[in-house]
Amino acid sequence: MSQPLIAASRLSVRAGSHSIIDDVSLAVHPREIVTLIGPNGSGKTTVLKALLGLIACRGDIVRRPGLRIGYVPQQFAPDVSLPITVERFLRLFADAEAGLAALERTGVAEARWRQVSALSGGELARVLLARAIAGKPDLLVLDEPLAGVDVSGEAALYHLIAELRDELGCGILLVSHDLHVVMGKADRVVCLNHHVCCQGDVHTVARDPAFLELFGARGELAIYPHLHDHAHTLSGEPVHGNR
Amino acid sequence: MGIDDFLWRAALGAGLLAAACGPIGCFVLWKRLAYVGESVAHIGLLGAAVGLLIGVNVVVGTAALAIAAALIMARVPDRTIPAGTYVGIVGHIGLALGFIVLATMETVRADLLGYLFGDVLALTGTDLVWIAAVSLAVLAATALLWRPLLRTAAGGPIAAAEGRESATVQTAFLVLVAVLVAFGLKVVGALLIVALLIIPPAAARPLSRTPEAMAGLAAFFGALAAPLGLAAAYFADAPAGPCIVLAAGGLFALASTAGRFVRMG
Repeated sequence: MSQPLIAASRLSVRAGSHSIIDDVSLAVHPREIVTLIGPNGSGKTTVLKALLGLIACRGDIVRRPGLRIGYVPQQFAPDVSLPITVERFLRLFADAEAGLAALERTGVAEARWRQVSALSGGELARVLLARAIAGKPDLLVLDEPLAGVDVSGEAALYHLIAELRDELGCGILLVSHDLHVVMGKADRVVCLNHHVCCQGDVHTVARDPAFLELFGARGELAIYPHLHDHAHTLSGEPVHGNR
Repeated sequence: MGIDDFLWRAALGAGLLAAACGPIGCFVLWKRLAYVGESVAHIGLLGAAVGLLIGVNVVVGTAALAIAAALIMARVPDRTIPAGTYVGIVGHIGLALGFIVLATMETVRADLLGYLFGDVLALTGTDLVWIAAVSLAVLAATALLWRPLLRTAAGGPIAAAEGRESATVQTAFLVLVAVLVAFGLKVVGALLIVALLIIPPAAARPLSRTPEAMAGLAAFFGALAAPLGLAAAYFADAPAGPCIVLAAGGLFALASTAGRFVRMG
């Protein structure tokens, strides 16, 4: 496999005597979707923050030189005291043309003259994803990127994320609690519970006893993404047949 | 005419300082750092007291401790005691120490109120030149650093994670806040300086659709609050610093009411 975009070995983060993550190693290669799953409080977000240099950690992190990252944090919104339109917000990070194209791609182009503070949760999630892809990143880091997106929109957006990998040729590191949709799209799944319980392709992980112990029957269900007999467009209408 | 002179100096000094506080204060709002400004001002008072004690210029002492406090407090990690609480503890310890140091100096005891609430009517010509120079320098620096500051204010952890946040720019911002606090000590005092950082931007918010409009309007409201407050102080024979803050509060009330009619989002 080619040189990884980012590779972390033996990461640990402690809070006092409590270990939040311990001995976590993972890598994301170009055009690879790596999904981080694990129960609440298992350290998923901490792993991302450590990888991105947002918190102090022990261990080694190697980035490919010149790596461009697009980051969608969990539950982020600019402070409501900041008056700024969607268009201007994107323009702080990318040129206007790329910003508009990205907004069209995530289905919120018509919101571009609205104030960011006036967006709904679902619209904001799409704007943040657009902002992240507008900069043509080599690596997309998405931390529960779809909070606030309704269920039908969620499936469409995950589908979009998989397409983005092909369009941008980027690697994607994704944290999500939604096993069902996530595991259908991932090339590799890393199952985390403070340490890496197991990792591998979807089918390997789904059969791993450590995974089943963490997620039980829900986990077994998650490996059958083909149970969907239809998809949804970004606006939520069902689409039957080939997608 | 003597009376006219000191009033003009006060209006000009307070107006320029408050105008410079406007745009920087917008970032204080956007980055939710009001509590840091508060504590920086409290420690600034300690700096003034120590400056008096060891015979250093009061503004220099204030600026030195305020800058140190701003740099340290902006890096407080959020642990079991929230960062805001921690910063508040340090700030109030600074304030208490400042009072104690000031109280040990018989000659300045009477000026205590001046440090707490400012003494804008006592500005000398030299003070005015300094305040004008600093205010214009802060405005120029804010304009120069505008884009990177705005990117961080709007993007929070995003800008940092994507390697698009400059540590130098963030440090410069804290230094600018501390410098305004130090020079604001003479104008509205340690207890009220944060009011000039947060009230004019808050007044500008409901009437603004862009960050630039809010910054410009905040500068205007700050500059307007100074002569309005001084006029009120003159006619009501009330202390000048608190009157300037009240005038800013009045503008905030007007702007909030107006904002309800002009829905800007």
